[in-house]
Amino acid sequence: MDDPELTAPPLKPPLADTSAPRDGEPAADDVDRILRWQEERIARKLRGEYESAVLHLSDVVNSNLATPLRIASVRVQGAAHTRASFIGSLITPLLPLPQDPTTLADVLHTTRHVGAVLQQTDIFQAVDARLERARDMLDAVDVVFRTRERGRLFLSTSTQVGNNEGGASATCRVRNAFGGAETFEANLAFATTTRVAFGASLSAPLTHTLATRGELAVFAQERDNSSFASSAEGVRGLRAVVRTGSADSSRGKHEFAYEAVLRHIGNLAPTASITYVWLFFAYLSQSLVARSDARYLDTDASRDARMREAAGQSVKSAVSHTWTRDTRDDRLLGTRGAYVRLAHELAGLGGDAAFVKSEAQAQGARRLLPGLIMSLAGRTGLLWGLGRPTLFSDRFQLGGPLSVRMFRANGMGPRDGPDSLGGELYWAAGLSLISDIPRKPHWPVKIHGFVNAGRLDGIDQSKTLVQNVLATITKPSVSAGVGLVYKLDPVRIELNFGAPLVASASDGVRKGIQVGIGLDFL
Amino acid sequence: MSTTVLSVPKPLRQFFALFPLYTHAPVPSPYTAGAITNATLWVYSPKNENSELEDLLSSDVECLKWQAYLALRGLSDIYVRWDVKQDGAIDGRLPNLHVPSKDGEPGGELLAVHSIPDWVDGTLGDGPGDLEGYVNEVARDESRAWVSLMEGNVHAALTLSQPAPSLLHNLLMPFPAKHRPLETMLNPPPAPLTGISSLLPAYGAHVDRNAVALQYREAIASLSERLGTDKWFLGSAEPTALDALVFAYLHCILHSRDNLIRQEVSRRVNLVAWEHRVQAQVRAAFRRCPAVPSTSRRQAL
Repeated sequence: MDDPELTAPPLKPPLADTSAPRDGEPAADDVDRILRWQEERIARKLRGEYESAVLHLSDVVNSNLATPLRIASVRVQGAAHTRASFIGSLITPLLPLPQDPTTLADVLHTTRHVGAVLQQTDIFQAVDARLERARDMLDAVDVVFRTRERGRLFLSTSTQVGNNEGGASATCRVRNAFGGAETFEANLAFATTTRVAFGASLSAPLTHTLATRGELAVFAQERDNSSFASSAEGVRGLRAVVRTGSADSSRGKHEFAYEAVLRHIGNLAPTASITYVWLFFAYLSQSLVARSDARYLDTDASRDARMREAAGQSVKSAVSHTWTRDTRDDRLLGTRGAYVRLAHELAGLGGDAAFVKSEAQAQGARRLLPGLIMSLAGRTGLLWGLGRPTLFSDRFQLGGPLSVRMFRANGMGPRDGPDSLGGELYWAAGLSLISDIPRKPHWPVKIHGFVNAGRLDGIDQSKTLVQNVLATITKPSVSAGVGLVYKLDPVRIELNFGAPLVASASDGVRKGIQVGIGLDFL
Repeated sequence: MSTTVLSVPKPLRQFFALFPLYTHAPVPSPYTAGAITNATLWVYSPKNENSELEDLLSSDVECLKWQAYLALRGLSDIYVRWDVKQDGAIDGRLPNLHVPSKDGEPGGELLAVHSIPDWVDGTLGDGPGDLEGYVNEVARDESRAWVSLMEGNVHAALTLSQPAPSLLHNLLMPFPAKHRPLETMLNPPPAPLTGISSLLPAYGAHVDRNAVALQYREAIASLSERLGTDKWFLGSAEPTALDALVFAYLHCILHSRDNLIRQEVSRRVNLVAWEHRVQAQVRAAFRRCPAVPSTSRRQAL
């Protein structure tokens, strides 16, 4: 039986196609299919030629890897806004010493390393390497990198939702600001809780490997704490940071920082009166006719007397170290891997605050069954005043949809009336089982059940640290519930239904539905 | 109707009432202060906070007015503290009076300035009456004019003698302090810095310092003449609110660093002697709050 693919069609002059094999050529009456078929055939042919050339090149390279070869020079083309001295500082340490014998393999490795470090600078959009015969030396090549720089100025505006607040921000970023991979960034944001925040930073690489960067930043923000502390907090500060490593690497990321911050607790109670009477004598006159009103106005104010004593300015001058390692496959809904963060802070280098503060945070996820993930998370923190009591701004707060669920946001720990005064020792742990919705595993919405526990306490320095810790651990507040988790990159949204099972009498509890929006859940 | 729709169904409410299943004792708060036992006036800090040379009279004229008012109404053994900053005061303005609560609340009750006279009347059991302590209605009406003069021209001169906070300070402060605008002290109010035909919105105040100084000198001269050798202003038999007000201004002026301001009072013997006498009476009414250490207790909170 004749195969039509292998048989040439009968001759039909004048433009007969006699090619064979036919290669699945469609019938001549369908022009579109023929065009598509031809395009695919050309692409296939080119791919074949390319693969053949690569194979040939590989053969040539592999058979000559041991051939002695030197690098005569390294040229970077297209880096118009980058300092030559900076590029030199990146490349020179990677080059072999002139007296060392080198081969083609060494040259190729060096080329790859230089290309990688140029890519890491984040300055270039594209980096193409080429080897050219050196002009003056016979056994040497010039390594030429043809680059294209990224745009230097970046402006953006955005709306954001996260950490249970929403807002809008504007960002201005200048990449490669001074020709040495420096990045200048300024950001202005307005949000519901952090009413206004401004930050400007200048970061630059400190080492030729680019693994360590330094950053100088100034920042300011005003935060509305009226939901848990009847006040607002304004912050003005500057920070110097050195970062090294990467969070997803085995060694993790280290961050060493110095921070000087002015904190101002103010705007305690909204004024209830419509007009404010300035004059001393007017107060006297007013008091004769408005006694009942005055009593009414004072009632709220008298309840938050402790926060009134906390109001005012304080200065913190502190050094800190933070280590982070994150091997999760997904930050919001990880199915494997772990996240660990350790932070230590020492304050007291001038200023009003003097303390040692340590915090540890860990979270891990594991797939139990197809479509069922278990997530286990824990946090703890200790704040120890050094010779003077701790300040409200430095103390921990606990509770809320992002920490211990089914408790009010920052509603746990020592309280005075409606205000959470914060604590110095806390722990929190959470176990969640996250499952696909039956028959809808591809949906970004998952079902989860959770059990959370934790407690926030003040430290009684008349007792030992162990006694304080034992007292905190033995009286946990516990909650449980079920809910829906929606992964809406870059945030996670939770809608939970639950209740506190065990609570302290002073805790602010939340029974029923609780919504959480954020990145970092327990 | 809407309340009924939005309210939690009864079975659910009963279910929620079961939780928490177990309740621990309240989390102890080491930061909460003990019960208040004595009336305590929150004021700006005195000029000298040194414990050996301690001065319990506030350096702020507004606070001092109320210190003098409490003392001259006959109250004594009032505690005074200055570790609470003005941000902690009701409406962000000191002074405040922290008094034991009538309903036994250990935290007490915090009173804004406009409630202090009520509390004083309640504590003493009687008010100042219709004449407010003045000898007759004419004196009472005249007192209004003196109050206007002191809180207007004299206050403006005192404010101008003090250094204004720098622009950098204002920029750095998240919540700048509220100050009484100079425009409210002067009559007629000063013109804005922008011209009448300026396209810019009106801002600032063009204050004629010479005119303010002149009015101040005249006011102090009149004050000295009106007091004469009387024991209290306007011939009152007992101290009045006007005396408290005048004392506060005279005391602050006599401790001002501005020589021109200070000399205007210090060269009038009757005013100096009167201030000295009242100062002793006012100072005797106050004691330092025992719970407050010499360093700022605010740091503990």
